[in-house]
Amino acid sequence: MAIVEMKKLRLLAVRDSKEELLRELIRHGCVQFTELEPRLRGTEAEGLVRSEGSELNALKAKHQSLVHAVELLDRYAPKKTKLLSAKPELEDRVLIDDTGLAGALKTAETLEGYDTRIKRISAEESRQRAVIESLQPWLDLDLPLNFEGTERCSVLTGSLPSRIPVEETEAALAAVDEESELFTIREEKKTRYVLLVCMRGQLAAMQDALRPFGFTPSALSGMNGTARQCQLDAEQTLKELAAEKENCAHYITDDAVHRDELKLAADRVNVKIAMAEAEERLCGTESVLVMEGWIPAEKENELAEVFERFGCAWETLDPTEEEYPEVPVKLKNNKFSDALNMVTNMYSLPAYGTVDPNPVMAPFFILFYGLMMADMGYGILMILAALVAMRKIRPRAGTLSFCRLLLYGGISTFLVGVLTASFFGNAPDVIAKMCGSSWKLWDPVFSPVNDSERVLYGAMILGVIHLNFGMAINFREKLRHGNAAGAVFEEGAQFVILLGIVLYALGLLVFPDAALLQKLGLGIMILGGAMLLLGSMRGAKGFGIITAPFSCIYSTLTGWFGDVLSYSRIMALMLAGGVVAQVFNTIAAMPSEKGVTPVSGVIFVVVFLIGHALNFALNLLGCFVHDLRLQCLEFFGKFYQDGGKPFEPLRIRTQYINPQE
Amino acid sequence: MEFLNSIGGFAIGILGAGLAAFMAGIGSAKGTGIAGEAGAGLVSEDPSKFGKAMILQVIPGTQGLYGFVIWFLAFSKLTGVADVSAITVAQGLQILGACLPIGFAGLLSGIAQGKVAAASVNILAKKPDDWSKGMILCITVEFYAILGLLASFMMLNAVSL
Repeated sequence: MAIVEMKKLRLLAVRDSKEELLRELIRHGCVQFTELEPRLRGTEAEGLVRSEGSELNALKAKHQSLVHAVELLDRYAPKKTKLLSAKPELEDRVLIDDTGLAGALKTAETLEGYDTRIKRISAEESRQRAVIESLQPWLDLDLPLNFEGTERCSVLTGSLPSRIPVEETEAALAAVDEESELFTIREEKKTRYVLLVCMRGQLAAMQDALRPFGFTPSALSGMNGTARQCQLDAEQTLKELAAEKENCAHYITDDAVHRDELKLAADRVNVKIAMAEAEERLCGTESVLVMEGWIPAEKENELAEVFERFGCAWETLDPTEEEYPEVPVKLKNNKFSDALNMVTNMYSLPAYGTVDPNPVMAPFFILFYGLMMADMGYGILMILAALVAMRKIRPRAGTLSFCRLLLYGGISTFLVGVLTASFFGNAPDVIAKMCGSSWKLWDPVFSPVNDSERVLYGAMILGVIHLNFGMAINFREKLRHGNAAGAVFEEGAQFVILLGIVLYALGLLVFPDAALLQKLGLGIMILGGAMLLLGSMRGAKGFGIITAPFSCIYSTLTGWFGDVLSYSRIMALMLAGGVVAQVFNTIAAMPSEKGVTPVSGVIFVVVFLIGHALNFALNLLGCFVHDLRLQCLEFFGKFYQDGGKPFEPLRIRTQYINPQE
Repeated sequence: MEFLNSIGGFAIGILGAGLAAFMAGIGSAKGTGIAGEAGAGLVSEDPSKFGKAMILQVIPGTQGLYGFVIWFLAFSKLTGVADVSAITVAQGLQILGACLPIGFAGLLSGIAQGKVAAASVNILAKKPDDWSKGMILCITVEFYAILGLLASFMMLNAVSL
């Protein structure tokens, strides 16, 4: 329910025990090492110790290879998994162990080898296909493609644009030598494939004569045999390649038995990477390791036992105020407020030494969410989704808090839905009407459509309460840090004004006869205002004493005005979701207006399902985002100090297998 | 006035209903179009991101839906009257006015949201883990279409035929 208290750890250990010590620490998962080397620079120690090297890069390469191998298996031998399934669990001892790693790496290497071969084969296949394509025009030519002529005459294959008339080219050839001849092998739409026969020695002159017509010699000379033979050869090669490719794919599929082994190995390498990353932050001499870091104060005794066992020299210190920006932040919450971890993480963690907003935020967040969504049907869907996910996926950390948030939001949505009497909009009423009954769900306590004004004011009053909670936190924090004057003149003054407004409003609206109450309210308001103005002048100097009260009035008024109006979105989303749901119900029921037929019944179900799926998805997201905004902008604005760095201890982080808890 | 009378309140009301549906519809069509183009570019590189790209694409689709909702309400209000020729020009103009907020809010917010969605496809491409943040950026634009819907809805409710 708070920000966990941290202690600074300084540790000296014997180098020989490095591996064992790190293994022990990763299992405890509660030490975050800080990088030591930059802090030693320029000190006496600089010459003595040096930074520890590690095999980080090599390990990362190994990890990549293993993950790639798993991906290959998933591609060539997909394993049917259930849509929602939990990751397998193993004891952390097993994950830290690195036996069998070499074997798995070898398997991965083999698999990658097959993959490379398949890629090469694919490249070769497209080359062969291109050959077959290029041979197509020459299939009718009986001469071998590498045939260059006889003792007396030369032959040359080539192509001409077909728009050139045959007579013109023949005339051009005849002008050089009457004996030469141009045979058309195949005529296509744009190109004419030709065979030129001429006397040996005149080949170059002939080519020169044809060039102006756009004659290009073909690039087939490297091939043996006729075009038909060559094409058959290429087809044969293609068949062989396909068979080889299939073989390779088979080899990969055969290795699918090693899938779990590869996954385990990948996660074992993950553990090793985490350890290597920690190692890079350490320093040491030839026989001693020096480390510095942060540990949660509550884990001190647990770790003390480990350090004693390894014969370490160590001390823990409470961080000083100057060190606060460096201290990593870890939030500790119960099952209820933990759900909001996700929200705080998405925004920014609170600075160390300030307040954890989750416990205060949780009830408001969940209430606002319910108010915006406000539908029993949607609430039930959310609860079910959350429960199924929690049961089937057995989520951890972030996902778990998300599931919890979904669950609580669902409960709150359901309860508010009871008050507004909406179940998938007005579905029960519509269905009853379709069936010709005048049955109705109970009367709503408040309905966004009919009492939108009341709902709007209610939303803003909730906003005032919410904002005051934020201010109250700031009030307490200021007192705690000895800033009593600030607390009284800023937050305190605003509380007094608010009290005055409430009394005045009570006098005006509820007890119109008690004139004293109004006067009292007015008096208190003026007192609060005076406190606020005095407070604003406190820090001001010179001319500022005159301007400060004005800017204070302006910023306080506009600030409150904007903040409170912003809560009208609660009413807006509540109404919008309800209206869209009702319209879908009405459209769905339209064909059934003159009695329900099988067709109109089916139409009802289809339109109902599609419409509500859309509305549900949209509202699920929309309400979350707007709730988030109210918390992070309006509420946090009153007290929150962000900028905390997350606590990232050396711990087991895995991809495929969860460590057992 | 003579001219408006010759057109009749019903026609003016129908014009309003039509505007709500078609302007918001254009907004969504353009918005989903812009986001879809960006999404298709990403999917051509990495087909496995299709699902998420599609979600980003459909976000600007809601404006059209809101426009349709208002069209439906206005249309059923207009046709629900026993004698449509009895609808006065003033009433027709009221319906027309009530339909305008979602028409304009839908048109412009749809296009604007489409651009945000297209930019969020970039997040999906470069930082796939943070793509949900892009979704949040899109939803901010959505709010103004919701406000348009509400304004239209409450005004329509206030018009009595």
